[in-house]
Amino acid sequence: MDTLLLARLQFAATASVHFLFVAVTLGLVTLLVGLQTAWVVTGNPRWERLTRFWGQLYVINYVLGIATGIVMEFQFGLNWSGLSRYVGNVFGAPLAIETLVAFFLESTFLGMWIFGWHRLRRGVHLALLYGVALTAYASAFWIMVANSWLQNPVGYEVRDGVAHLTDFSALLTNPALGMALGHVVSAALLTGGLLMAGISAWHLLRRTPDHDLFRTSLRIGVVTATLAISLVQGFGFAQFGPVLSVQPTKFGGTSPEAEALIAEWSARFGPGDYLPPTLANVGLGFMILIGLGLGLLWLLLPLLWRDWIIRLRFPLWLLMLAVPLPFVALILGWISREVGRQPWVAYGLLPVDQAVSPISGWLMAVSLIGFTLLLGTLAVTNWVLLARHAARGTADPALGRPPAQPAADDSRPEPAFA
Amino acid sequence: MELAWYALLGLFFAGYLVLGGYDYGVGLLLARGADPARRRAALNAVGPFFLGNEVWLVAAVGILFGAFPLLEGELLAGSYPAVLGALAGVILVTAGVQLRSRPASRWARAGWDRAITVGSLLAALGWGTVLAGLLQGVPLHADGHVAGVAHLFTPFAAATALAVVALVAAHGAAFLALRLPATEGDRLRPLARRLIVVAIIAVAAAAAVGLLSDRVRGAAQRPAVGVLLGVSLVAALLLARAALGRRRHGVAFAATAAALALPVVLVGATLWPYVLVSTVDPAASLTVADAAASAPTLRLLGWLALPLLPALLGFQAMCWWIFRGRTDSRAPVYW
Repeated sequence: MDTLLLARLQFAATASVHFLFVAVTLGLVTLLVGLQTAWVVTGNPRWERLTRFWGQLYVINYVLGIATGIVMEFQFGLNWSGLSRYVGNVFGAPLAIETLVAFFLESTFLGMWIFGWHRLRRGVHLALLYGVALTAYASAFWIMVANSWLQNPVGYEVRDGVAHLTDFSALLTNPALGMALGHVVSAALLTGGLLMAGISAWHLLRRTPDHDLFRTSLRIGVVTATLAISLVQGFGFAQFGPVLSVQPTKFGGTSPEAEALIAEWSARFGPGDYLPPTLANVGLGFMILIGLGLGLLWLLLPLLWRDWIIRLRFPLWLLMLAVPLPFVALILGWISREVGRQPWVAYGLLPVDQAVSPISGWLMAVSLIGFTLLLGTLAVTNWVLLARHAARGTADPALGRPPAQPAADDSRPEPAFA
Repeated sequence: MELAWYALLGLFFAGYLVLGGYDYGVGLLLARGADPARRRAALNAVGPFFLGNEVWLVAAVGILFGAFPLLEGELLAGSYPAVLGALAGVILVTAGVQLRSRPASRWARAGWDRAITVGSLLAALGWGTVLAGLLQGVPLHADGHVAGVAHLFTPFAAATALAVVALVAAHGAAFLALRLPATEGDRLRPLARRLIVVAIIAVAAAAAVGLLSDRVRGAAQRPAVGVLLGVSLVAALLLARAALGRRRHGVAFAATAAALALPVVLVGATLWPYVLVSTVDPAASLTVADAAASAPTLRLLGWLALPLLPALLGFQAMCWWIFRGRTDSRAPVYW
């Protein structure tokens, strides 16, 4: 079996699942910060109920984000030991920073936030959520720094075949970074906003209780998603310039720059196929279609006036049907960025076949099948749970439920809500 | 500089074994009874600490990648099946603990609890095998690659993996005795003491197999240090057992915690100055200094770690402080 192909498939599978969950994490946590801030500032319990309901969904979604994130982190060493061997001095730094600055703190804060209801002062509890949100953004930033380095290696010199760090600031000003970061972060906001709008629309259509709460979250979701889609489009199109300047072969280009680069690579690394597979471009086309289609969200914005968006009902259907679209676009966009980097791990520096671990094919196959099944099952289970909790409504989510009064004669740790 | 980073790597991995260790210990102990209320109480005793515990592993691997990239690739790829097992276990526990109470049905919750138990077992077996794999040396060739994975399957690796399972179970019981309400915690003391005896036997067995193994004897650079640390491990366990007998639950927990941190120190100190000792070509052995990232990378990470480390440990300490003491019926329940 072809170890390289299996390793690439595993990376693609894990990263795709990871992306679906972390985008929601990043989008929802931003909205949660707004909801809880409103609660702390106004003291109005409706904001508390909204925070608890959306916080519950956020926390359920977070589980798969962390699970797939851990697998991603290990995969570099397990399947791509050449990556750490040849470019680990440079590429490892942003990843190490991400784990310490972001991942570690994010989880620490989140644990305290989940269990801190009714126990911490409101200000402290809110500050923890700000901590979770800030570290989530820091995480996105450092991961994109690391990924951008693979797209366009900078700030290094090669000595004895190994890359060494010479200029860390070059990693932060990488032309492959800025617009892509903006694009990804606004895509996460779009995903989170549309998810909020879609779930609220479902409740409003079914006329479940708490019409008022879901009316509020519908409005927040629609406004967020509408603003975000324009940012997504703006950052997306703004990417073409910088990306093509540093990766001329990315979109299967036949430009003079691409041909010159391929000639140079052929001279340095030997003849070979240095164009990425066409898969990358097909996905890109569909992603752009989805992005332009979601631009129609702007047409819904005026309908917020006098609740026409709810009274007409069909906009609610549209919002529900639109929920999967950002997820599809996320995967397609990611495929375009990553597959477009082929056949390199680090563009023009380290080919994928030199980076893959010298592991036997069958072992890699066991790992691929095992982890894809495990994470796939967990992902589906997680979505089922998310859907059930979303459908249950705001009545009494487990998150932030007040602890029961202690029974005078009961010293058993009777769980208050079994 | 390399030594400081090596110590930091050891700190975070040992921290993970201590903190993640009681998560897994509690996970293993879920298997002991089907009483749903008791299971839930045990998981919520870990409650607020759980997410903060698991990420010590993430930080350890981050440091491994950033500061010891060469080691990261060879260690993980060279111990592929063990890491795979540990990773599958970590994922099962992470997802299981956080999701088990989201479905309402008793049946679904029991299923998740089984997943947590299996995950805890896999994680303990996997990390035990990785530690044993380091201590018995690896077939590291002159080209810098570890050849194959068959080198992992030895009696010593199996004995060490089982010893880590026993250690983790005893540590989990000591944690619950300290953290659950007094009456409930008291009821766990006999079990905890029995588990500590099992752990002592398992550790002694692993040590005996190790001393008999040519590979372990060959790989050990400072056998005296290794033996000394092994003896302190057993001493820590004896102390934990005695402390439990006198209802000194805090002391007992600290002692089992030390028993879980010591294997990391033992591996690091016994192999020093090497980190991967080659069983096939002595010249190919990898020293800590060789495994480390080059100086500019370590300098950059060093400047970052200096202010960051107090913050990381500070926020963890804040979490321990806020949720200190025994759980009671007013403690938040979420898992």
